[in-house]
Amino acid sequence: MAVKATPAVFSAPEPVVDWDVLAARARGLRRAKAVVLYAFLIAVSLPIILPYFWLVTIAFSAKTGVAETAVLWRSMAVVVPTVIALWLAAAFAQSRRQMWIGMGAVAAVAAFAFALLVGPDLHIGNFIFLWEPDFASVVRSRIGEVKGAVQFPNVWHAFGNSILIAGTQTAIVVTVASLAAYSLSRFQFPGRSAMLRSLLVLHAFPVLTLIVPMFLMLYWIGLLDTLFGVILVLVAFELPFAIFIMKGFFDAVPWDIEMSALTDGASRRQAFLSVVLPQVRNGILAIAVFTFIRGWEEYIFVFTFLIRNTNWTMSLYMYWVRDDVMGVDYGVVSAVGVFYLVPSLILYLAAQRYLMQMSIGGVKG
Amino acid sequence: MAKIEFRNVVKRFGDVEVIPDMNLVIEDGEFVALLGPSGCGKSTSLFMLAGIYVPSGGELLFDGHVVNEVEARDRNVGIVFQSYALYPHMSVRDNILFPLRFKKTPRDEALGRVKGAADLVRVAELLERKPSELSGGQQQRVALARALVKEPQLLLLDEPLSNLDATLRLSMRTEIKSLQEKLGVTTVLVTHDQIEATTMADRIICMRAGRIEQIGTPDDLYLRPASLFVASFIGSPPINLIAGEAQGGTVAVNGAKFPVEGASGAVTVGLRPEHLRFGDSGFTGHIVQIEPMGREILYVVETGIGIIRVLEQGSSATHATGEKVKIGFSPENSLVFETAHQKLLPGAHVHAPA
Repeated sequence: MAVKATPAVFSAPEPVVDWDVLAARARGLRRAKAVVLYAFLIAVSLPIILPYFWLVTIAFSAKTGVAETAVLWRSMAVVVPTVIALWLAAAFAQSRRQMWIGMGAVAAVAAFAFALLVGPDLHIGNFIFLWEPDFASVVRSRIGEVKGAVQFPNVWHAFGNSILIAGTQTAIVVTVASLAAYSLSRFQFPGRSAMLRSLLVLHAFPVLTLIVPMFLMLYWIGLLDTLFGVILVLVAFELPFAIFIMKGFFDAVPWDIEMSALTDGASRRQAFLSVVLPQVRNGILAIAVFTFIRGWEEYIFVFTFLIRNTNWTMSLYMYWVRDDVMGVDYGVVSAVGVFYLVPSLILYLAAQRYLMQMSIGGVKG
Repeated sequence: MAKIEFRNVVKRFGDVEVIPDMNLVIEDGEFVALLGPSGCGKSTSLFMLAGIYVPSGGELLFDGHVVNEVEARDRNVGIVFQSYALYPHMSVRDNILFPLRFKKTPRDEALGRVKGAADLVRVAELLERKPSELSGGQQQRVALARALVKEPQLLLLDEPLSNLDATLRLSMRTEIKSLQEKLGVTTVLVTHDQIEATTMADRIICMRAGRIEQIGTPDDLYLRPASLFVASFIGSPPINLIAGEAQGGTVAVNGAKFPVEGASGAVTVGLRPEHLRFGDSGFTGHIVQIEPMGREILYVVETGIGIIRVLEQGSSATHATGEKVKIGFSPENSLVFETAHQKLLPGAHVHAPA
């Protein structure tokens, strides 16, 4: 069954191709695409970054009783050109080394300009709340007001409460979600698929709708105005999603290694702890970080269910500071905001590597 | 070391009966292979031996003791999975050490045994590495070391070679076989690859749809297959199956007649490709494809009764594509099956080559 060779037919002579020109064109196109992409990303990220930048600038520069924006504009005059210069440096650099040199130069110039334009206005006086519990009176007295202020608890007390709520909530959610997700992933039992479906449905309801019944429940149980009551409520609302995420992680762990552990002499519990759990470490880290931050930023439930000021969390502290000294000293309000922000930021930076790996893939019914 | 026995073992998953009734005895120190296509129940049998599945009925015995309810961890069984199932977060040393952790072996002795097992499969220089830093063959060896370090009474191998490349498969085959001979451990190999089964095992248990089709030595299965299924499953290139007619102990196929004791009605004649040769009479057809296989040449011939494969010794083709040929066979080399029951007629089997 030989294939008959068809004679080659070329009507036109082959045009001369200049490979260098083609390569140059492709190179130019690639670079243009990158430039446009970065310009777009910068444009959309500025409105997100700018408020945080201002928050920090205000916290370190505003003075009691003075509402001026000159510092903000001067800092903007440094930051915006810096971002654009960094972008240009990245776009026009011919090599990685050139890019780092360019960026380094831009950063040095920007640091110098910042020190010159904004530097003289920087101070840490707004962080007075860290060492002066009755800072509200101090701030008010600066502008001659002496009327009785809200009795603020020590900020470290509120900080401790927030850590306690977020930390305990995280510990409970991680433990319960891991065990529940493992069972859902590995065992067949009546009601399993109904449970999986309800996990998703539960997450779909706006939690705010339950605030009145929850209030009544906590009141009757006797957990109203206790940190533990709030922790229980938060755990209940966080669990469904955490279980769902963890189930995806457990589903991705092959049965083989578990069976292998069982034949190697491990009990089911030992196999879970020493072989399966280490495989879902990233999932546990991810839900731990998210749950902690969720508890750290919690506002509505603590506002509703906590009353005594010794039970204040950072969000309530922030709320009352704004209520009390806003208008007199927005520098202090911003400083509290920065102080409130720092732990979340540190946590995110530390766990970023693991959060990036989180995926809700591999979810089986 | 243990003698294994299946007595009327049944395994059901819900309504699906995977193994209807299994009876089998594996002698102490024997190397057997469970061979069959995927879904034939061979892995289910293996997991019942390991203690991961509990039989739905019947009895499973180790050395005469019923072990149906005995937990996997108490059975002292070593298992090598198809995926090797090494613990990814542990070093090779900790992987091999893992089974000893639960036996409360003193630390010094345990480390000594890890060293011994690692030496046995030649991975001693890899102890500090993580499984992800090993090649497929090295992972395979580590999995073997982990299965052997606890000195199991039964070693189970679940498709252990299927993830290796061809060359490595060949050498691992030899290595596992000689290791088993050296240690004398009762071993059950599960595979769908007939070459793996025939080269390594003392006896082969050929399974189909949860039932045992035939138990025998590799020679038995090749030369005296009990059924059409075994005949077509064993052997590469596959056996040629040709429809024939029999009357009063005489089989007629394509004009040729030969006597087979007890043959009557529709029969299927099985002819191994190496037992066919080109000649002046026989099935006529033309060659459509030639496949050189090194020492042999495989001719694919299209005839009036379908495709027939002929294997010829020699490394260069003596015939050309498109050539008209006649294929002859000798009756003593033919396997005659009753078409209705698909069973081998007892009067016919291939005589071992003289």
